[in-house]
Amino acid sequence: MASENDDMGLEMSSITILNKYSNTSESDPFFSSGWDPIVSQSESLGGSSIASHYHLVMENQGISGTSHVSQYQSNPSFVELVPKLTGFDGGNLSQIPGPFSLPQCNQIANSNERGSKNSLRSLDEHRISETLVGTSPNGKIRKRSPESDSPFRSCKNGNEEPGMDLSSEGCDGLREQAGKKPKTEQNLSANSRGKQAAKQDKDSSQSGEAPKENYIHVRARRGQATNSHSLAERLRREKISERMRLLQELVPGCNKITGKAVMLDEIINYVQSLQQQVEFLSMKLATVNPELNLDLDRILSKDILHPQSAAVLGFGPGTNPSHTFSPSTFTGTISGFPNTNPGFPPLPQTVLENEVQNLFQMGFYPGSTMDGFGLDGIH
Amino acid sequence: MDLQNMNPSSLKSRFATRFLRALTKINAQKPISSSSSREIFQRYRRIKVAADKSMAYSVRSRRSWSRATLWRLRTRSPRSRLATLARRSSVKTRTTRAASHGATVVDRKSHGKENKEDGGVEAEELRELVPGGEAMDLCNLLDETAHYIKCLTTQVQVMRTIANLYSLH
Repeated sequence: MASENDDMGLEMSSITILNKYSNTSESDPFFSSGWDPIVSQSESLGGSSIASHYHLVMENQGISGTSHVSQYQSNPSFVELVPKLTGFDGGNLSQIPGPFSLPQCNQIANSNERGSKNSLRSLDEHRISETLVGTSPNGKIRKRSPESDSPFRSCKNGNEEPGMDLSSEGCDGLREQAGKKPKTEQNLSANSRGKQAAKQDKDSSQSGEAPKENYIHVRARRGQATNSHSLAERLRREKISERMRLLQELVPGCNKITGKAVMLDEIINYVQSLQQQVEFLSMKLATVNPELNLDLDRILSKDILHPQSAAVLGFGPGTNPSHTFSPSTFTGTISGFPNTNPGFPPLPQTVLENEVQNLFQMGFYPGSTMDGFGLDGIH
Repeated sequence: MDLQNMNPSSLKSRFATRFLRALTKINAQKPISSSSSREIFQRYRRIKVAADKSMAYSVRSRRSWSRATLWRLRTRSPRSRLATLARRSSVKTRTTRAASHGATVVDRKSHGKENKEDGGVEAEELRELVPGGEAMDLCNLLDETAHYIKCLTTQVQVMRTIANLYSLH
């Protein structure tokens, strides 16, 4: 027992067992108040048979525990701990204290084998429906993002991943003795297996291995903690960084910015400037007098959608030095709006043709103007 | 960009047609040339509401921010009593926002929800900018922001072109 405990200790150093079931009532008899029922059960069972390979099963977002449970049934010599994640609210999930969990892992396993299977199974199913990985609280529960889960993989039996070294090594005991159980996801700690560490990188490159299930399988990268917390955090962070990259492309002039806070500032400024522009334009539309009334709808929609044809509307090239309707003024007129406002209604139809072109170009290729505007507004 | 223009069901064309219809309706109500400044202001408000509404309708309910905008527009107006009642009884946090989603400059330090560490102070500010953003976590907030930015740019483009056309004729 002592040797087994030592073995466990070695492998438990980087493993955290999470067993906080806060939601389900079925979990309460199983995991309530510090493992008491487990202790009592295990003592009655008399000793545990813990394999030298200590498998930690970390379920991330609802990995089906049924297979685990069935594995327990057929494989009494393996201890599988099932830490579960309650949810990713800020990533501050409570941790089961280490020493407390160590001597009772075997007991958990044994008790897993015995009576509480049903509760575990239903618990897992409930867990599946509850845990979220950084998803919105508005009900989007099963969110698959295989493109961002490069380190994710699932250790599946037999049919799905024939070339898995992990299965050959780590899952060996489990798999062979448990038979070919489909849908067994495992997240083995990288640190606890030196042999597998080398294969971690290769395995981590297998991405998107959750084609059938709608949840994400997480694999711990080499040298990284396999806390369920840290995994969840990593997941979340990766998603957030991916979205920040997308936003970086949307917001002009943010290519050089690295850093979440600065990027968020830029985004905020940009959104504010866009909203201000909408207000400014609506004010402008309120004051402008549309003199052309006949079939306005058709003409305008045609012109908006086909800017090139609008330029042929026959504006005579003329000079009007009095009007201030120039591109620079137009783009930077948030502050100068009251100045340009009175200039709009009395605009005659003599406009410089190049200015017309500029305006239409501005209307449809706002990249340059937006930069100018943004720069004016921000800096 | 040209492809987008040609696509009859693109966001731009949808918004353009809707907004134009609303705009002509607004303009038909009163002649602009003889309006006082107060009437101009009223018209400005109506146009702005029409712009937001047309954009939100063009996006339908596919996005959270559009749903939030539509909801806000629906409950804001003439039935103020019902609206306030709805606001009080509603659980949604976005109902407490009296200000529109316009650019009110918010004091950044006034919302320091550091306990959640969900992007920090800036995320709070972004939440205020994007309609319906208060109830979202950072991941979805960024998603919504991206789409919102895209729609805002479309809105600005179309409105600018319309304004140019109006003023040039």
